[in-house]
Amino acid sequence: MDDVEKAILISFDESGAIDSELKLQAVNFCQKIKETPSICSLCIEKLCFCKLVQVQFWCLQALQEVIRVKYGSMSLEEKNFIRKSIFCMACLEGINDKMCVVLDSPAFIKNKLSQVLVTLIYFEYPLIWSSVFVDFLPHLSKGAVVIDMFSRLLNALDDELVSMDYPRTAEEVAVAGRVKDAMRNQCVPQIVRAWYDIVSMYRNTDPETCVTVLDCMRRYVSWIDIGLIVNDAFIPLLFELILVDGLSEQLRAAAAGCVLAVVSKRMDAHSKLSLLKSLQISRVFGLVSDDNDSDLVSAIAALITGYAVEVLECSKRVNTEDAKVISMELLDEVLPTVFYVMQNCEMDAAFSIVQFLSGYVATMKTHSSLQENQMLHISQILEVIRTQIRYDPMYRNNLDMVDMIGVEEESRMLEFRKDLFVLLRNVGRVAPEVTRIFIRNSLASAISSSSDKNAEEVEAALSLLYALGETMSDEAMRVGNGLLSELVTNLLSTRFPCHSNRLVALVYLETIARYMKFIQENVQYIPLVLAAFLDERGIHHPNIYVSRRASYLFMRIVKLLKSKLVPFIETILQSLQDVVARFTSMNLASREPAGSEDGAYVFEAIGLLIGMEDVSLEKQSDYLSSLLTPLCQQVEVTLMNAKALNPDESSLQIANIQQIIVAINALSKGFSERLVTSSRPAIGHMFKQTLDVLLQILVVFPKVEPLRTKVLSFIHRMVDTLGASVFPYLPKALEQLLAESEPKEMVGFLLLLNQLICKFSTLVRDILEEVFPTIAGRVFSAIQRVVDSSVTETNTEEIRELQELQKTLYTFLHVIATHDLSSVFLSPRSRDYLTSIMQLLLHTSCHHKDIVTRKACVQIFIKLIKDWCAKSSGEEKVPGFKSFIIETFATNCCLYSVLDKSFEFGDANTLVLFGEIVLAQKVMYEKFGDDFLVHFVSKGFPSPQNLAEQYCQKLKGNDIKALRSYYQSLIEHLRVQQNGSLVFR
Amino acid sequence: MDFFTNCGKIRFYCWDTAGQEKFGGLRDGYYIHGQCAIIMFDVTARLTYKNVPTWHRDLCRVCENIPIVLCGNKVDVKNRQVKAKQVTFHRKKNLQYYEISAKSNYNFEKPFLYLARKLAGDPNLHFVESPALAPPEVHIDLAAQQQHEAELAAAASQPLPDDDDDAFE
Repeated sequence: MDDVEKAILISFDESGAIDSELKLQAVNFCQKIKETPSICSLCIEKLCFCKLVQVQFWCLQALQEVIRVKYGSMSLEEKNFIRKSIFCMACLEGINDKMCVVLDSPAFIKNKLSQVLVTLIYFEYPLIWSSVFVDFLPHLSKGAVVIDMFSRLLNALDDELVSMDYPRTAEEVAVAGRVKDAMRNQCVPQIVRAWYDIVSMYRNTDPETCVTVLDCMRRYVSWIDIGLIVNDAFIPLLFELILVDGLSEQLRAAAAGCVLAVVSKRMDAHSKLSLLKSLQISRVFGLVSDDNDSDLVSAIAALITGYAVEVLECSKRVNTEDAKVISMELLDEVLPTVFYVMQNCEMDAAFSIVQFLSGYVATMKTHSSLQENQMLHISQILEVIRTQIRYDPMYRNNLDMVDMIGVEEESRMLEFRKDLFVLLRNVGRVAPEVTRIFIRNSLASAISSSSDKNAEEVEAALSLLYALGETMSDEAMRVGNGLLSELVTNLLSTRFPCHSNRLVALVYLETIARYMKFIQENVQYIPLVLAAFLDERGIHHPNIYVSRRASYLFMRIVKLLKSKLVPFIETILQSLQDVVARFTSMNLASREPAGSEDGAYVFEAIGLLIGMEDVSLEKQSDYLSSLLTPLCQQVEVTLMNAKALNPDESSLQIANIQQIIVAINALSKGFSERLVTSSRPAIGHMFKQTLDVLLQILVVFPKVEPLRTKVLSFIHRMVDTLGASVFPYLPKALEQLLAESEPKEMVGFLLLLNQLICKFSTLVRDILEEVFPTIAGRVFSAIQRVVDSSVTETNTEEIRELQELQKTLYTFLHVIATHDLSSVFLSPRSRDYLTSIMQLLLHTSCHHKDIVTRKACVQIFIKLIKDWCAKSSGEEKVPGFKSFIIETFATNCCLYSVLDKSFEFGDANTLVLFGEIVLAQKVMYEKFGDDFLVHFVSKGFPSPQNLAEQYCQKLKGNDIKALRSYYQSLIEHLRVQQNGSLVFR
Repeated sequence: MDFFTNCGKIRFYCWDTAGQEKFGGLRDGYYIHGQCAIIMFDVTARLTYKNVPTWHRDLCRVCENIPIVLCGNKVDVKNRQVKAKQVTFHRKKNLQYYEISAKSNYNFEKPFLYLARKLAGDPNLHFVESPALAPPEVHIDLAAQQQHEAELAAAASQPLPDDDDDAFE
């Protein structure tokens, strides 16, 4: 072994036993060798004599690299030498009378050799080395080794140069075109002839070689003259190989692969159609039924589906009546086997069932009525859909337990079903009746299927029914023809043996909910629906996922059917007693550690039912107090013992209270303000008592944020439900809520005030006057932090919260102003903040990046001007306000901010803001007359005089639109005039 | 990288070969003794998926018939460029495909489990405990670094001893 060989072995070592420094040395050494001028002859010499595969590989790699990179600078002799040597190696000829051993080496060496040959072909074929293929052919008679090498060469040519499966540069594409053209002209017929001869000769003695040859040929069909294959010799040979029992499966499959390549070749639709017809494909149909797992069956299945795709494509593209008939005949011939394959065989991955079937169904849309065989095909398609959407029973436990595998399978199926349900919808359009009958029958057969797969069968059948419902309009469902009512009746009256299964139970409930519009019109089904949701199929299902979902769906159903459920209220409440008891009983241990929102839907449903006016007052108060009393009691007990609790108990109790508030909240949604305030105040009284209790929570747990949030949302609800009678509770509630002043809490607090103001406007004046100074103080000091930190931007989350607070503040101020409550700003205790408020509003109205916020501020100013400024020049209500408006607001906001180029007249929001700004001028003129006008004009329109005059005219007129468009053109004019000068700024 | 299966330990010697071609390394020489491979692309960069066929071809030139897994990495990123549906290459070439996120460890063991099953010829083989990964942070860093350097890695494992009993300690 010489140094080069040693170095190669070391650099290829992967045992880890070799010192990394030595390895690096070896790698560098090899790299240096590669750069010597004699590298090619060195490599060829080593290839001839050295049997170490690493050395052979390295040499071939080096040769390939040298040719690829340095071909242009190599001498003619060197090129000749390489070409000759490499070719001799490939076809088992001696070099300088010595046999080269490369073809004895493992496959990867031979592949590497092919790559070197292809690199030469890239540069030299056909101009320099035109005979490469022709010269190779005579050597094929040497037998399998050379045939194998020749096939590798052709495969490598396809992989490295021709096939469009790989990204290619423009130059490579050009070379590939040149090579293909030359081969077509020069040697393709001979090569095909060689393939034919080899397969004919070796089919019985060396099937492996035949497979190699056919697999290679398959790659070439797409670009060689198809007549070379489609003729009286080759096609019969291929079919013979496919059909003769006793040949190797691989060989038969390889032959099928070649036929598939022929079938898939791109050509004119009419020629393609005659080709497809001539193949008499039905000959192979019988083969798919033999044994479903073999390579042969997969290959035949791929051939049949590929053939069907082509026929369908032809049927769309041919334009003569005859051809259309032929294509439909061929399609009818192949479809039954395609359906069989879809349901029984491992599918070829390149074939998309949904795409093919959708294509086929699309052709039916054009037919006015379907023929019998098409109806048959429709049923088959439905059967395929059903088979495809069915879960594999092997996942049953995973899906039931919702473990990782289960979750994955479920989401996979969900995604997978999407396309299939689109197909179902299309089938349903083409053949609605067939589709419904199919679903009915699936349901029936699913129920009677054996227990090892009934859950999956039932789930699939119900999913079909659900999907059918998805495609129906509300109207169609309401009308509901005979078959539909049969389907729904079956659905409701059938007891599925596998109802304990999570997926079955879920899809069952979803499907019932899906058909609710039908039930709304057919009230006789209501008892069945209620039973399904209330017994162990629904809310009482042992699986928590099912019962949770059932609660939600039940609430939706109650919402929809409410008035029709009055006779059933007693029954429903009885059925839900145990669920409710889990909340109302003091036994914490019996409660599953559920999320705080759990149970909310059950309570909401109950609230919707018992909150109806159709329920007598007596019953209503009985029902309600039986719920509210124990829930409130629990809260009271907890609150009483709160101080004695250790942290663990305390957090458990807090979670408990949260659940209770959520439940009460949900319950209250069913009660309207009219009912609790005017028609049945006794009910209102019960909610007031509840509010009293829940407000105590803020006193006892002032710092527990989730509790505060829950109580706050309950107050929101009570404002809605109790109306003005909630007032007595507000002072205490607001005081407690104001105890915390974090920005997030303040936002929640302001939202509550906004709700109050919007609902009651001036009625809340006293309350508002009471809290406003505190709010103003807190918010302004908080917002100041935004201003301070905007330079550093350290804590972004805090900044975000503060910005949110600022935004809510603008809404708050806007709501105050627009609900005739501006006097609140003037109350003695609030007066201190007036200047800050004005400055903030002014700054925002001019500079805020959100245009809508700017608009709100301008609107506030308009309202304040209207409220605070009398027309007559008597004593000012708010001293200094008038001059502030005229001297500061008018010029800064109404003029300068608009003049700024960032004020985009093209933006819709900005235009609305502009409208408000113009309106503000109008209002200022109305209130202040010439005091405003003179100042504004003197600041705004220095020259020429006529601009100011026109403005005054428009302002005094009654046409606000005209004023607006004039002011806009004026601003645009001034912008031009301003032209970069700083006159106005 | 060691994994513990119901049949004992299996050790993958992983070779990250991507990026080597630029440094005059062994290039496809690394594949010579490869017994299985992972071809990885980045679902947030379309080009990396376009190059998958080339990596596959270069690999198969050297290793005919080894189990190969195709992995789409960085599926945690919201703005994907290669959607799961667009990934079809594995179907043409009969490879297994997994969506993974090296960053969040999502599915990270899947390719190894598939390869372990193929190598052992036991479709029921499963992992019994988590592999001895580097601590998570480090692992994420490593993964991120690998992603950064190379879209694609081919992993080749060292030959297992012929005797099954030895293969699985």
